[in-house]
Amino acid sequence: MRRQTSAAADRYPAAAFLSLIIGLTLSMTSLAAATTAARGVFQSGPDFIAECFASQPSEKKTLWLTDELRQQVSKILGHPIAGLRVRYHQNGSKTAWILEEIGKEMPITIGVMVDNHTIQQVKILAYRESRGGEVRYPAYTRQYQGASLKPDLSLSQSIDGITGATLSVWAVNKVAALALYFDGVVTQQRTDA
Amino acid sequence: MTNKTSPTFSHSARTNILWHRRLGLSVFLLLIFLAISGFALNHSPALKLNQIALSNNWLLSWYGLEKAPAKGFQVDGQWLYHNGDAELFVDGTEAAPCRAPLLSAAANDNGLFALCADSLVMLTPQGQFVEQFSAIDGLPTALQGLAVVDNRLYLINESIAAEFDPERWSISPAPMAVDKLARSQQAMATLPQALAQQLEQHQSGPSISLETVILDLHSGRFFGQFGVLFIDLIGILICILSITGLIAWINRR
Repeated sequence: MRRQTSAAADRYPAAAFLSLIIGLTLSMTSLAAATTAARGVFQSGPDFIAECFASQPSEKKTLWLTDELRQQVSKILGHPIAGLRVRYHQNGSKTAWILEEIGKEMPITIGVMVDNHTIQQVKILAYRESRGGEVRYPAYTRQYQGASLKPDLSLSQSIDGITGATLSVWAVNKVAALALYFDGVVTQQRTDA
Repeated sequence: MTNKTSPTFSHSARTNILWHRRLGLSVFLLLIFLAISGFALNHSPALKLNQIALSNNWLLSWYGLEKAPAKGFQVDGQWLYHNGDAELFVDGTEAAPCRAPLLSAAANDNGLFALCADSLVMLTPQGQFVEQFSAIDGLPTALQGLAVVDNRLYLINESIAAEFDPERWSISPAPMAVDKLARSQQAMATLPQALAQQLEQHQSGPSISLETVILDLHSGRFFGQFGVLFIDLIGILICILSITGLIAWINRR
């Protein structure tokens, strides 16, 4: 059998070589398809908000970023935040935030729902990097459920990282902490009012 | 030595050498290029490759960095324009992130608005960046222009127009025809000389370094996804070449 195969390869070397190239190309294409699948828009902002509040109506609100807030935000993100205000939705003690943070080179759009100062849900709405898209899997994002913000502005529970997605994991951690911080600020503002 | 080998073994060895030669002939030029470019990248700091800026028009165009025309939109007494990279400028000051091209600009009592390739940027009347709206926020796609009529902001695409209230984040159908709104759009105009000169200075920066070009050629990214796959394929062929070479060496012993 082996001899027959070798004989065939000798008789039709070009065809055998072409088969090898095609086979390898197909394998590489499958690999590329898997890489490309990391990117994408998985849910729109309005759909995420609708999912968070189910049938309850939520109020659209805006948090203006004062200089003091911006300083705290810089501590959480490690860099200044762009823009003068942040939008969010609120119903009672529940707030929902759609925030962006750069993973390696591209922004990741992340939806965070907070209730009573603890995270209820984290969802990756859009992922634009070529690698590290594993952060969108529920098995990863479930780790944030129940997390709150410690006084040093870090998350109250440790989050297991993902090999090869370190920067994306850091970005999600920062956004989760930022949403908790913003939730604390708007709750305080409501109490003061 | 040869007379000790069986006919099957000898045939298999000949096939192995045949394939080794074919693979070698197929990849030798690329192998030399990869070796030289890899050497250059390894010694990039010493060779100062990152300091050699390439600004050839064809190359800039290939990287999508064509020089932006010295044009912009004059709204509310201020000039909004793009630097051809990823920044929106207001009267000479870098104001907000904005993916090229800048399609349209408008102003109402809420502030200034700039329509970029994939988002709508809102600025204060003084030109400070307030926030950005994109498709993920529910903004319609393929927008082509902005118009302000009776202090209301309208988003226009080829066939429909919608009123957008950035304070309430509400989008509703426009009460007037698309062509009528399109006529209300601010037209793009040539920048004043002082701003054009400043833009020219800003544009002189984003050239491509030789290091980037060599790195992209080495990895195949220069030719997009196909190029990366091709270099991957060459990598696999080189592995096979090494294995067939090793087998040939063992067979000769």
